[in-house]
Amino acid sequence: MSNEKLLSLNLKIWRQTGNKEKGEMVDYRLEGVSTEASFLEMLDQLNEELVEKGQDPVAFDHDCREGICGMCSLMINGQAHGPEKETTTCQLHMRKFNDGDTIVIEPWRAKAFPVIKDLMVDRTALDDIIAAGGYVNVNTGNAQDANAILVGKENADLAMDAAACIGCAACVASCKNASAMLFASAKISQLALLPQGQVEREQRVINMVEKMDELGFGNCTNEAECEASCPKGIDISNIARMNREYLKAIVKTKN
Amino acid sequence: MSNIKLDSKVPEGKLSEKWDNHKFKMKLVNPANKRKFKVIIVGTGLAGGSAAATLAELGYNVESFCIQDSPRRAHSIAAQGGVNAAKNYPNDGDSIWRLFYDTVKGGDYRSREANVYRLAQVANNIIDQCAAQGVPFAREYGGTLANRSFGGAQVSRTFYARGQTGQQLLLGAYSSMMKEVNKGKINVHTRKEMVELVVVEGKTRGIITRDIVTGEFEKHAADAVLLCTGGYGNVYFLSTNAMTSNGSAAWKAYKKGACFANPCFTQIHPTCIPVHGENQSKLTLMSESLRNDGRVWVPKKQGDTRKPSEIPEEERDYYLERKYPSFGNLVPRDVASRNAKEAVDDGRGVGSTGVAVYLDFRDAIKRDGEQAIRERYGNLFQMYERITDEDPYVVPMRIYPAVHYTMGGLWVDYNLQTTVPGCFALGEANFSDHGANRLGASALMQGLADGYFVIPYTLGNYFASEGLMTDKVADDHPEFEKALTESKERFNKLLNINGSRTVDSFHKELGKIMWEYVGMSRNEAGLKTAIEKIAKLRSEFWKDVKVLGSEVGVNVELEKANRVADFLELGELMARDALERRESCGGHFREESQTEENEAKRDDENFCHAAAWEYTGDNQVPNLHKEELKYENVELTQRSYK
Amino acid sequence: MKRLWLYLNSSIVKKQIMGFTGLFWCIFLLGHLVGNSLMFVGPEAFNTYAYKLTSNKAFFYTAEFVLLFFFLTHMGMAIRLTIENKKARPEGYYMKQATGRGSTFASSTMPYTGMIILIFVITHLLHFRFGPVYMITHSGVEMRDVYRVLIEYFSSPAAIAWYIFCIAAVGVHTSHGLWSAFQSIGFSHPRYTPMVNCVSKIYGAVVFLAFSALPIFCYLQGGN
Repeated sequence: MSNEKLLSLNLKIWRQTGNKEKGEMVDYRLEGVSTEASFLEMLDQLNEELVEKGQDPVAFDHDCREGICGMCSLMINGQAHGPEKETTTCQLHMRKFNDGDTIVIEPWRAKAFPVIKDLMVDRTALDDIIAAGGYVNVNTGNAQDANAILVGKENADLAMDAAACIGCAACVASCKNASAMLFASAKISQLALLPQGQVEREQRVINMVEKMDELGFGNCTNEAECEASCPKGIDISNIARMNREYLKAIVKTKN
Repeated sequence: MSNIKLDSKVPEGKLSEKWDNHKFKMKLVNPANKRKFKVIIVGTGLAGGSAAATLAELGYNVESFCIQDSPRRAHSIAAQGGVNAAKNYPNDGDSIWRLFYDTVKGGDYRSREANVYRLAQVANNIIDQCAAQGVPFAREYGGTLANRSFGGAQVSRTFYARGQTGQQLLLGAYSSMMKEVNKGKINVHTRKEMVELVVVEGKTRGIITRDIVTGEFEKHAADAVLLCTGGYGNVYFLSTNAMTSNGSAAWKAYKKGACFANPCFTQIHPTCIPVHGENQSKLTLMSESLRNDGRVWVPKKQGDTRKPSEIPEEERDYYLERKYPSFGNLVPRDVASRNAKEAVDDGRGVGSTGVAVYLDFRDAIKRDGEQAIRERYGNLFQMYERITDEDPYVVPMRIYPAVHYTMGGLWVDYNLQTTVPGCFALGEANFSDHGANRLGASALMQGLADGYFVIPYTLGNYFASEGLMTDKVADDHPEFEKALTESKERFNKLLNINGSRTVDSFHKELGKIMWEYVGMSRNEAGLKTAIEKIAKLRSEFWKDVKVLGSEVGVNVELEKANRVADFLELGELMARDALERRESCGGHFREESQTEENEAKRDDENFCHAAAWEYTGDNQVPNLHKEELKYENVELTQRSYK
Repeated sequence: MKRLWLYLNSSIVKKQIMGFTGLFWCIFLLGHLVGNSLMFVGPEAFNTYAYKLTSNKAFFYTAEFVLLFFFLTHMGMAIRLTIENKKARPEGYYMKQATGRGSTFASSTMPYTGMIILIFVITHLLHFRFGPVYMITHSGVEMRDVYRVLIEYFSSPAAIAWYIFCIAAVGVHTSHGLWSAFQSIGFSHPRYTPMVNCVSKIYGAVVFLAFSALPIFCYLQGGN
């Protein structure tokens, strides 16, 4: 019943020992990779072999391995999270590749995401954007009954679509301008669509955009590669909403 | 023997009034003085994230630590189903009492009554709080919150956000945290792992961390330490836990005097995607809502290799429906898991490995149409197809149980404090609320209850009653220096073994021992074998593990080695606890203790207690302390799903 | 005032400026196209239109100034954004592939089509706005014979080829740009956005076809 096959692969992997050091692409040959394995299990297999040979294993970020934590990354053959639509690297399976393929693996690249080691990058900048305003300022303990806030199903669904963002930064990685607009707009949209987010609506978008610009992300040129690479299928209509929110906010704000 | 006395500190009075009375009696810290306290919180999941946000809001200075690159990655994010609360919005007869009762019964009467009642009480506040934060819960057309029935519950009390409830609740807690980060009340330390707990003169005073990026060891002093580090399911190597989920922080606390309670209580979830091969790194869970429409079966004949479509109806064994006519496919998790194992052990497993059973939607599709099934389970079917390359609309799903959650954990009193003063454990890291088996949609509830609504009160009480305002210990205290040196030595030792086997090979071997002997069904001989084998493996590990690289910079193998070293001890404790508990209850099934119909048989006379283990030294048998569980409000009954 | 300056320099307002100025030029192009279509009616209609357009000097110079200002703003902003975007990724990828689900030929060539348009606009102005001046009298009014300038210029196949090439660039640029302007300004609606997207492509095609027809028409006229 299982259609398992074994693949021999040529891997071209970015190796960089530290942030200050220069990196380079290094070639590896890996035999006997099961088509049933996930992409990260293929890298595990490579690392196990490297360790046995006494070489330094490839460092890469990963955690839940079920496509929800947003920790895994990787530019695979020039595409963020690889070729499959709405799939994180950890959910990408080796059956999508052929025997003898050469696979190029690189870290996310952006000024705001310095490389830590090999394929690991520092994505703290995304936390900084959220810290600038991606929340409702409500302290624990004084909430009213949940059903006192009514949310129409349509807006609740749209907010959930935006809230599905896992913060992996594939949008930044795939954007030719390394722009974080899809990420920022997802949070801005979620809160702009819900009644809970109304009080701080204007100040939120202004603060978050200002922070995003300050961190050195690029500008949007509306090419939609972010949407196409997003493992959660977040729509660029969120970026349009953020643009609209921003324009409204700078007209309305008093400071 | 040690002088540890387990005092649960459960307040006096009527069950429903205990928490309110306790809140009133607890001492407070003056608002202006709160800024003079520092709290270390390890872990940023639902428990850690919510505690960090709430304590910072109150005015405490919070130092938050996580192993990942951002607090938003904690594994709470992977919870799919939902969060329970007795709001009774659907008007179907739910109440705090019923939620309490269901949780106690679901836990097979091995949880602490007062804790569970408090959990049920504050659950409603959780929903209010999360809704106020902008968590996009599912809504009805009229704008009110939607509920569903989950895990066989008789009422619809589960709130959800599509299949990503854990993610949305965690992001709610995370954003509340970031709000406090912006105000400078929380200091987030990412990519740092706690490697030691520092206890000075009987009080917890801080931790030692190792920076995963630089390899540097750091001292962090505080007035209290909150361990919100989740469960230890990864001891089995293959589990639904995230790759970095580990038991090390709890284990360090254990070695500093915190008792570890009921370590053998693990939950094995029945609907996971089966193992495919040796290089597999983790298992993926599919929501148990699938069992609402899917029918579980195996062929009647052993070693039947025919395709499922070629096996005629009369040669299929729908074993859950056959054995449990009234609950059928919706029996609790432990029962479904155990029966799957029985079928496989009987040689009737399916798939290329023979270690799986079918979950068939053929009849549901025939009854409701493919469209209806697609609407209900589209995402799950897609996920299944992505991983297995099989279309569940055409071919029955193959499922098999996998380790999912650990009910055991650090022993805590009613205030969530461990047996080491100043060291608290929240969420999955503690043991108190789920007994021997956790109900669906209760893990999220517990994590947030502890963080948002319990610890903010009890921590203040600790500070005020221990006089910690003036009693401070800085990180230049010799105990910190000692802990730092010891940690460094431990890592250096791992680096200097220069053996021949990789860390993962040890971890996999440990996992196999655990799965085989301390898995779904346990017996005395097996557990003794496990204890022996683990001890042997552990000594081999310390002689022959191969950890390359240096202590400076990123060294993934070194990180793993440190965690596996702890798992090698923790696994043994689990086996020991399982051996000691000669009864079947919840997720713990002892073959010696079963009814004539091969169902779990509890022994309330001898085992109605929480088993709290006290560390006595490496390779020493730990001391067992028992906290008798008193049930004053519910009657103990044997579960039956026939 | 400082805040305002900050807002104007935000990533969002920058692209909104691109959008507004681009949108203005898209509208101008349509007007230009309608005016030019008078060529098909005959020399008198076309020359009279040109005469009327230029005879009110105040209007004419204001219009020219506004057009130039918007053009330069659009261009300057484009250069600035491109530089900033390059800076946002100092170290490029060894391999980068489009997903095939996002960017299009038009969207990924905006800077290049933009540059072609810049060169085109300069040569266009030199050839026609500042080109040879012939006079002609229609209905008793003496005016510039722009019609003749066109006929003469487009008698060369090379000139026609260059013109059509440039107009193709305009068509491609606007087919993405028009939709993009709506997106940047913040217009988004599940029903209308796909329509805007479609209209944008039609707009690009119309601009290309209609403007290309003019030189060919001129060429055919020139033979007589």
